[in-house]
Amino acid sequence: MLSFPEEIVLLLLDETKGEFVPLPESVFAIVMSGAALMDLALHNRIDTDLEKLMVVDRTPLGDDILDDVLSGLAGLCDKRTDLEIGEALYEAALDAEEYRARALKRLIAHGILREENGRHLWIFRTRRYPVIDNVEQQEVRTRLRRILLSDEIPDPRDVVLICLVDACALSGFVLSGQELEAATPRIEQLRKMDLIGQAVTRAASETEAIIKFAATTM
Amino acid sequence: MEISQERDGDVVIVRLSGRLDSSAAPAAEERLSAALTGDPPRVAIDMSDLAYISSAGLRVLLVLAKKVQQQKGKVALGGLAANVREVFTVSGFDTIFPIEADAAAAAAAVR
Repeated sequence: MLSFPEEIVLLLLDETKGEFVPLPESVFAIVMSGAALMDLALHNRIDTDLEKLMVVDRTPLGDDILDDVLSGLAGLCDKRTDLEIGEALYEAALDAEEYRARALKRLIAHGILREENGRHLWIFRTRRYPVIDNVEQQEVRTRLRRILLSDEIPDPRDVVLICLVDACALSGFVLSGQELEAATPRIEQLRKMDLIGQAVTRAASETEAIIKFAATTM
Repeated sequence: MEISQERDGDVVIVRLSGRLDSSAAPAAEERLSAALTGDPPRVAIDMSDLAYISSAGLRVLLVLAKKVQQQKGKVALGGLAANVREVFTVSGFDTIFPIEADAAAAAAAVR
């Protein structure tokens, strides 16, 4: 099973072009960080409530992304006992680009992607990641479609994926336009169910609002 | 945390006391799964002595709700303290579970 940071990198890749779908870097950083935090929560390394995030087990998982995030959070929790989810999210987001690179390496090693180097206009170097094995992408899409278009109670992993897909505005890659409109209340309901997911949605929306504001005032 | 259970006809009443957090979650998940004995299962969870619930605790309840749905059973919660109720409201878990005033009302809701 892929980790959430791997899942989100894979879901953000356009299967046919092998390029990342457009997403502001700062939003990507929040989503990547949220993916790592939610993975740590499902591995019982951290726990959260309405006020704070706690590291409850510092045992490494043998995953170089999750273990780095866990170690950073443990360091923060040594200094203070009132770490908010949002603060933890922004802290882990600082290294999101490095985590994307590691996740890509792993997906290539798993035989899911391949790296393709090329040139644009004979000058600019380009790098693409065409999907060789899209079974994982298809399975996630099928599972999320089933959950979003029914009253089926999701499992905790589905809730995390719905939060991440929604924060990246990727729901349109899972549902058609008409389905998306009908499923909007359901998405709203499910994405609330993970407190870290709520913080991801909030932070991603705030970041996008700042980007829009900056774009209109420059 | 302490977990106890009793049977009232075809309803299993599970009482949760203390804190349902990451340290209590594994045992709680096991005990709640074991409460799904009927066909279909009918479970009332008495939370009147539950002082705290974290995300890990919510996940235990989500897994339980999914299993109950798969077995076409019923589950309801009763007696939530205000702080626990707030967690259910903020997380939208109050849309998954019927929430009753007390254990007796929760048991009646699943009959």
